[in-house]
Formats: sequence, C-alpha cells, structure tokens
Amino acid sequence: MSTPAIKIEHATKRFPGVLALDDAHLELRPGEIHALLGENGAGKSTLIKIITGVHEPTEGTVYVDGQPTVFKSPHDAMGAGIGAVHQERNLIPRFSVAENIMLEATPTRAGQVDYPEMRRQAQHWLAELDLDIDPDLPVHRLSVAQMQLLEIARALSLESKILLLDEPTASITDHEVQVLFTFLRKLKEKGVAILFVSHKLEEVFEICDRVTVLRDGRNACASVPIEELNRDRVVAHMVGRENALSDLGHRAEVDAPVKLELKDVSTVAGHKDINFTARKGEVLGFYGLVGAGRSELARALIGADKMSGGQVLIDGVEAKIPNVQTALRKYRMGYVSEDRKGDGLILAHSVAENIGVTIWHKIARLGGFVSDAMQRAAVGSYVDRLEVKTPSLRQRLGNLSGGNQQKVSVAKWLAAQTEILIIDEPTVGVDIRTKGYLHKLIWEVADTGVTVLVISSDMPEIVAVADRLIVMNEMAVVADLPNTRNYDEMSPRIMDAIVTSSSDYKESA
Amino acid sequence: MTATQLETDMSPPDRRGAAFKDMLSRLAKSAGLALVVGLLIFVFVNWADGFTGKFNLFNLTRNLSVAAVVGFGMMVVLALGHMNLALGSTALASVMIMGWVMKVAALPVPVAVGCGLAVGTFLGLINGWLIVKTKLHSFIITLATASMFLGAVLIVFRAGPISDLPREFTGISKTRYFGWVSGMLLITAVTGVVLGVMYKFTTLGRQMLATGANADAAELSGIPVNRAILIAHGLSGFLAALAGVMFTARQGSALLSTGEDWLLASFLAPLLGGTLLAGGYVSVLGAFLGAMLVGILQNGLVLIGVPDFWVEFVLGLTLLATVSLDRLREVISARRGN
Amino acid sequence: MKKQSLTQRFLAAEWSSLLIVALIMMAIMTIITPRFLNFDNQAILTRSLAPLLIVAFAQAIVIGIGQMNLAVGAIGGMVAVFFGGMMEVWGLPIPVAIGIGLLCGLAAGVLNGAVIAYSGINGFIVTLATLSIFKGLNLGVTKSIPFYEMPQALQWFGEARVGPFAMILIVPVICVVALAWFLKYSLAGRQILAVGGNAHAAGLAGISVNRVTIMAHAISGALAGIAGMLSVARLGVGQPTIGGDWLLASFAAPVIGGAILLGGHIPVIGTILGVLVIILIENLLVLYGVDPQYNEFFVGALILLAVGFNHWRSLRAEAAYKLQEGQA
Repeated sequence: MSTPAIKIEHATKRFPGVLALDDAHLELRPGEIHALLGENGAGKSTLIKIITGVHEPTEGTVYVDGQPTVFKSPHDAMGAGIGAVHQERNLIPRFSVAENIMLEATPTRAGQVDYPEMRRQAQHWLAELDLDIDPDLPVHRLSVAQMQLLEIARALSLESKILLLDEPTASITDHEVQVLFTFLRKLKEKGVAILFVSHKLEEVFEICDRVTVLRDGRNACASVPIEELNRDRVVAHMVGRENALSDLGHRAEVDAPVKLELKDVSTVAGHKDINFTARKGEVLGFYGLVGAGRSELARALIGADKMSGGQVLIDGVEAKIPNVQTALRKYRMGYVSEDRKGDGLILAHSVAENIGVTIWHKIARLGGFVSDAMQRAAVGSYVDRLEVKTPSLRQRLGNLSGGNQQKVSVAKWLAAQTEILIIDEPTVGVDIRTKGYLHKLIWEVADTGVTVLVISSDMPEIVAVADRLIVMNEMAVVADLPNTRNYDEMSPRIMDAIVTSSSDYKESA
Repeated sequence: MTATQLETDMSPPDRRGAAFKDMLSRLAKSAGLALVVGLLIFVFVNWADGFTGKFNLFNLTRNLSVAAVVGFGMMVVLALGHMNLALGSTALASVMIMGWVMKVAALPVPVAVGCGLAVGTFLGLINGWLIVKTKLHSFIITLATASMFLGAVLIVFRAGPISDLPREFTGISKTRYFGWVSGMLLITAVTGVVLGVMYKFTTLGRQMLATGANADAAELSGIPVNRAILIAHGLSGFLAALAGVMFTARQGSALLSTGEDWLLASFLAPLLGGTLLAGGYVSVLGAFLGAMLVGILQNGLVLIGVPDFWVEFVLGLTLLATVSLDRLREVISARRGN
Repeated sequence: MKKQSLTQRFLAAEWSSLLIVALIMMAIMTIITPRFLNFDNQAILTRSLAPLLIVAFAQAIVIGIGQMNLAVGAIGGMVAVFFGGMMEVWGLPIPVAIGIGLLCGLAAGVLNGAVIAYSGINGFIVTLATLSIFKGLNLGVTKSIPFYEMPQALQWFGEARVGPFAMILIVPVICVVALAWFLKYSLAGRQILAVGGNAHAAGLAGISVNRVTIMAHAISGALAGIAGMLSVARLGVGQPTIGGDWLLASFAAPVIGGAILLGGHIPVIGTILGVLVIILIENLLVLYGVDPQYNEFFVGALILLAVGFNHWRSLRAEAAYKLQEGQA
C-alpha cells in the first residue's frame, strides 16, 4: 500500500470554552476521493483548517507523505502541495476572474505581472471546468455559483497533490456538479489525493472511495470503504441517534388558542406565500437544509428585515412590526440568534448586561434610572433558574462556555417575558450535557404558555423537541406535519417533502 | 417543575468573592493611571520650580478642566466605536455664535451661553443624522463636517474675533477655591459625574455601550440603535460647545482659533484612560485622569525647562507607550488564560 | 460579451463624472475670469497642485489596505525641515539631502507600519501618536524657525516654468506614473490591493499581511517625505509648518476620487482629479480675492457630496443587480 498523502493521528483542538476536535483520525491516500462527513459543528472545518495550516492542533500529529509536519501558516501548507476550497468565499472583490484564479501563482516576466500569460493560464483552468466566464470580469459581477466554481478553478490551478474541497457543491447546479466530478475523476487518476466535504450524501456515494465521519469532534467512523456503507448507516454515524438524546419523556398535546398566524407572507429576502399557525404553549419546529430561508423568515418576523406582503396575526389581530423594538415591546416576541458571537450576544459585556438588555426600559425608574443592583436583582433569578455557571453576574460573557452563553441567550428573552420566542439552532456549539438541558428548557418554557418556534438543522433534535413540524425548502413552506416523535417514522416524511419540492426534482419530473 | 432538579451536583458559585475581585480589577485599571499621575505630581512638586505656586496651580486646573471636557466629548462617541473629528470646529461655531449673541445682540449672558450650547448640540445631531442615514464611517463624515463648520464660521465671522466679553461671563474662569483651584473644575466635575451616572445608571447610557460593543446584537435585542447614535453625537456636540464656552471664558474673547489644536488632546484623554477605540467600554474617571496626566505633563515639562516645542513629542510618546503597554497586558493575560 | 463603444466605456469609468465636474468648473472659470487661462495663473495652479498630488497618494496607498495614516503631514513637515537643515547647516549637496530625506520618510513609514503590524494596535491610534512624535521632533529641532538659506538650484527649480506649467509638476508626474505601474504590474502592488480587498483571503493565499502593511506605510512615508521636500522647493524655505494642513486634503482627494475606506481599491485617475478639483476651488477663491481659508468649507462639502453620490450609486447598482438576478 502506498504512503498516505496526509495522515492525522490523535488530533485534538481546544478553543476557549469549546473542544472542537477530540482525538480525531484521518488517512488520505494518493489517488482516492475521501469523504469527510459530519453535522454542523462536528469538527470538519476545524480538521480542514489544521490540514491547511490555519490552526495548529492542540495535540496530535499531522503526517505529510509519512513525515510528521507542523504547518505554521497557510503558506507552509501550500508549499507542501495542499490546495483548498474553503467554505467561506475567499475572493478579492475588486480583482478580475483571472487575477483571482492566479492569486497564489501570479505569472511575472522581468519583475512585471504578465497579464496576457495570466489570462491564458486562467482561461485554461476555466476551460477545464467547462466554464464560460470572461477572465477580465471583476468577480463581484459573478453569480454565487460562478464564484464557487471560480474558487475551485483557483485550487486546481495550484496543481496540488492534495486537494481539500469544503462543500464545493453547496450552491452550484447539477450540471456543474457533473463537470466538476468528471474533472475530479481525472485528477484522481493522476494520483491526486482529494478530501471531499459535503452534506449531500448522493454525491458522496457517487464519487467517493472511502468515508470518514466526525461527530462531536470524534471519529464516528474512520476511512471506511464506501462499499461497506449505505445511506442509512452513514446517517446513523452522523447523528449517532442511539445515544444523542436523552429521553425527554411525555408531553401533553397542546390545545390552546392560536397565538401566531402567518397568511401569505412574502419578504424582501425572497420568501413567497408563507402560511402557518402556532398555538399558545406550542413548540413548533422548523426544519430545512442550509439556505432554506428559516433564519431569514425569523428576522422578518421580528422586524429586523422587511416583509413585502401578506399578514401576520397575533392573538387574531393583524400585527405591524416595523422594527425589533415593536416586536419586543408591543408583541413580546424574541429571537435567539444562531450566531451568538455575531448578532446574538455582546460577549465583551457582563452576564447581567446581556440579560438586562431586553428589560432596561421596563426596570428603569425616574426617566431611565437603572442601577447595577436593580439590574442584578431583575436578572439574577433567571441566571439561577437556568443554572448559568458563572462566577458572578459581572463576569464577562465571552469567558463562559458555549452552553452557558446559550443559556444567557435564552435567559434574556425569558426575562423580557416574551410570549413568542424564536430559537435559532438552540444547541449549535453546545456540549451534549447542556444540549439535553436546553431541550428540556424549551419544553418548560412552552409549558408556561410561551409559543416557541425552534429552528434547527439537526433532524433528531427537531423530531425530539417539536410538537409540530414545518419543513422549509427554497424559501417556502413545503410541509406542515404533526410530529410523532418517532425518528424512523418522521425522517423519511421530512426528506420526502424536501426532495419532492426541490426545483431540480420538479425539472426532472 | 423547575430546572433546578437538573445538575444539582453543582455547588453555587461564590458570587460575593468574585464580585469583589471584579471590582478590584476595574479599579486597578484607573489606579495604574492614578499612580502615574501621582508620581508625576511628586516629581514636579520636588523638581519643578514654581509648580506649587498658587497662580501656576490655578492655571493648571483651569486648563485641565477644559481639556477634560474636550476628552469627554470624544469619549461619548468612542463609546459607540465612532469618532468626532469635528469637535474643535463645533466648539468654534458655538462660541462665535455665543459671542455674537452676548456682544452684538447684547442679550443676557445665560441666554448667550444657552445659544452656544444649543448650536453645539445641533451640529452634533447633524453628524449623527448623516452617519445614521448614510451608514458611512464616522471618520469621513466628521472630517467633512469639521471643515464645513470651520469654513462656514470663517465666512460668517470675517470680521475676526469677538473680544471684550462681559465680565459677568469671563468671571466664570476667575473664581478660585483655596486660592489655587479653578472654579471651572466644578463644571468639569459635575459633567463627569453626570456622564458617569448616565453610563452606569441609565437605560440610555447602557444602550449606547451595547450599541458600541455589538450593534447587530443590540439591534436584535430591541435597542433603538439609531436613536442611541443620534443622541451620543448630539451629546458630543454639546460637550464640545461646553468646552468651548469654558475656553472662551478664560480667554475673555471668542477666538477664531478655538478648537484648532484639540484633535490630539481629545483622543489622548479617553484613550489614556482606557476607553476603547472599538467601542463598548468607557471610563469617565479614566478620561479625567488622562486629561490630568496631559495637563500636568505639559505644565511641568515647561517649568523644568523642556522647551515648549518638545511637549507634543512627549505626548505622542506617552500615547504610544500607554496603548502598547495595554496591548502587551492583553496578550499576556490571553496567554495565561489558555 | 459585446464590445462597448468609447463613449459607453468613458461613462462607465468611475472617474467620468468627476472629470466632467472639473471640466465644467474650468469652463465657468474661463468665462467669468479670463485671467484663469493666463499662464501666470496656470503656473500658480500647477505649483500648488504638485505637492498635494503626492500627499493624496501617500494617503491613498494606506487607504488601499483599509487603514489611515494621520501622520502624512507630520512626516512631510519633519522631512522638509531635515532637508532644509541638511543643506543650510551642514551644507550637503542637494542630491545627498534628497536621498537622506527620502530614507527619513521611508523610515518613519516603516515605523508606523511595523508598530501597527506587530502590536495589532489600531492604525488610527498609532499614526495619531506618531503624528505628534514627528511633529514634536520637527518643532523641537527647529524651534519653529524656518531654514531660509536654500541653494540657488533648488530655488530655481521651485520657480521655473515650462510654458503654463510649473517645473516642479514633474515630480508628482513621475511619482504617480511609478505608483500606477507598481499597483498594476508589480506583485507587491497586487498584494497591497489583495490585502485591502480581503485580508483573510489574502492570508490564506499565502500573502503576508504584516509585510504588506509595513510596505504600504513605508511607501506612504516615502511619498509624504517627497511631498515635504517638494514643498521646500516650492516655497524656497524650509518651513516647519509644512504639512500642517495636509490632513483634510489627503483624505478628500482619494475619497472624492472613489476610494473606499474599507480598502482594496486605489483610484489613480480619480485621486488626480480629486486633487485637481480641490485646487480649482482654491484657485477660484484666489482669483476672486477671497481668503483661501474658506476653501475648507467647500472641500468639506465636496467630501459629503462625493460620499453621498457614491452611496447613491452603489445603492442603485445593487438594485439593478437584484433585478437582473430576479430575471435570470
């Protein structure tokens, strides 16, 4: 057997408060296409960043061609013949297509950038991918799919021995996927080692030779030949259903009046004719693939983005929600963002400030007077109730673990006594123990009469938690299913709703 | 049913002890600066001839009280992560109009001062409005308005400074306590206390800090972010005008050079005092101590015979040294944390 | 893709509107004051244009990486007095003085860049601090007294004319052409723009962001130094006040020309036209005998107009793009 192009042993990566990788293994051979699978937050991106020199592992060793190697920077990894297409866009906005493709290997002649040669080489890689793009076009004029293909062309242009593709097909059409696959097979024959990360299992079964699955930073399986697997077994590895969730017990059926109703709502973000109802005290689950438009709908609902048509009824009365203040103060709606660091929490401020932010206007006396003591008194009970593990209410929130941060995210809306609470990806980046706790909390909150809308990409989670399921796909509601809480029963129904509603499926039918 | 049934094995954290430590570390931030200021005073008292002279101290406290208000004016926009380069021109416009009302329109002094402060507030609101509407960086907006305000004043007040302001007005700067403390220090102290109370004890202050720390999160938490920005810039304009009024009282005339050299000083005081350029954290006491450091340094250096020309050099070095040390401390504590 | 006609391509260029503004201004000035086209007036105009052009690019290159250099004026002033002092006090020949002055500006820029790159402190604070350090150095050394005894050759160069143009205009012409070549055709220049456009992506592509930061500030410092020395030639005196009033114009010209403070784009022609428009306003005021200090107001208003216009244009472009997407 040939020496593996890349071998990773016992890789562990710790970030403050998060264990992103926990003793992970990977072996990538020359001339193979190796699938790296796992749910969001399973550690795939961290593993890729270790291979590309963005992160150094806290523990463990990376072997390149059998030699233990430490990459200090992306430049080192590139020097070792590793090319990568990352999940986030990495293009230079004002540069042309050709300049972006040749960014790492800009051709020069006599110290000058050789534009004709650059254009010629770029054209060659575009042709290899069957792309009809003008190499002189600035990249901000391209469509999202074109940008994605461009990044692939750029990775190919390095003629790397090792190629990492992180979700390369996320936003491209079936035809483009086929062109890419043809090319990847050619590279494979040339002996290039390819690591392929995708959420789309059909693609994995179509092109990959071996499979590694990560779950919670560990190997659910390592380098298993694809013949030994089938779709169900891969899914089982990914979600680890047998031990992922504690039993939440029984929950009584909700038979309260309707709290929230959407009638033919469309948004500036692109939603069309969204209809659903949610009862008082109900847990309504929203499932869909990344890009199905769930978070965007939530943002429109709380007034952070604009709606362009339709009606929202709260307690049977039409509600106009022009901004977040109205949503919070008049309609008592709250939104726990999936992006805690970005727009969910103020990590540089204290625990007390982060919970108090929604209630300052309520606890204030005499023209806006709020003392620290008043704030602590108002929020303290929520910190206790949710068992936020913090040395003090004055603690900087950024110093707490992901799970405790998430508890604070929920606490601030509980403190505001919201009647409609939207929780986006409640357990992303949260350890298993806290995960079960948060699920239980969602039920407790609903038991107090709050309407909870839970958005999740984690199918086992949504099936366990929700009373009813709204399935979304391509910015539309495609199914409204009663939830039996039986995963084997629900998962085919959900997938079926998504597959039959996809535009690709409709075209082929 | 309560959540407390879960995870009962965790002992309740020792909150009181942690809170005490927390308070100490907050105090320590200003304490370091206070120590430096104290050291400086000790050095100058012993080695700078005339430093302890009553008139010198009076002059020092008078300059310092103006500088601190200028620093506050920048601090309130730094809280948002913004800047206000128009601080000096705003002050200029305010005092010229105040001077005109006082001298030419011959209205009572309080009315004139009120007009000046109103003009400053209004100009600040213009800045805030432009920033909210265009969503452009406050640097470029206030750079542009700075020159527009300045240019407009130069055009309108072609005739030059307005001198011989009424004694009733200039008297503000002549009051002394104990024979050496300027009465204007009282204005500064009151302003500082009001600002401190605003940030620590009011909804508005907290909203401004939340906006500065993470505007997106603040918005999604139901904070009227645009209103917070507008008010903070209005406040900045008000404080600029107030500093201008105090400066004018000291000079006895509304000068066209008012605010011309405030840029460095306005940033120095809050930044030395630990206010973050990125927004979300301010220290009123720190800004005051920062202004004190600058004022004492300027005064003392000249007294020990350092030529006037080198003072700015020393101030620049001080700023660079302070931010570098702060940064170093951050890096070290981050390493220890891991 | 269809080939566009020359007119279409002209109108598509970001500097076309600015050029039209400049041309209209010149036309109006020619009509109302025939003195405008006078060779003497043109010489005055180009003489004040020369140093400012270099100053604008000293700022533009730092804006290109998404930072600011508040110290351009201070570096310019410091190099100017060193330049004057070297010739008057030490009697150094002009070329040697120029060489040392250039190195001095470069070193100041490297200092800025290195502190920013390795400490991670915001460039605004660092250059604010070095602004006072360099200015303090300038005043401390000269005690605010200018160096008057400049060599004959330098004074001749500062006053000479070629037709309607001031001789000193040759320096910015060389600098701008060199810079334009550098940004377009050298790897280092491309790296500066790449880092400004997307520092994260540039880092992943193996470009050292720290090295690029230092390089951009070094070039900025060198250009500021050249502008300072050119001002000495123009004034015939080593004035310590040189550079004191550069800050506004240094930002105004690139911003009017279409630069974005986030970085990634250095509009060469736009910046030149931006400087031209600023100088035209100043010239107009001079011709009317108005105090040129009023210039401030108009330059400030111009910045607001330009950013407002660019904001409106980008909104419109976005709307057009969305429409196009919707149809596709």
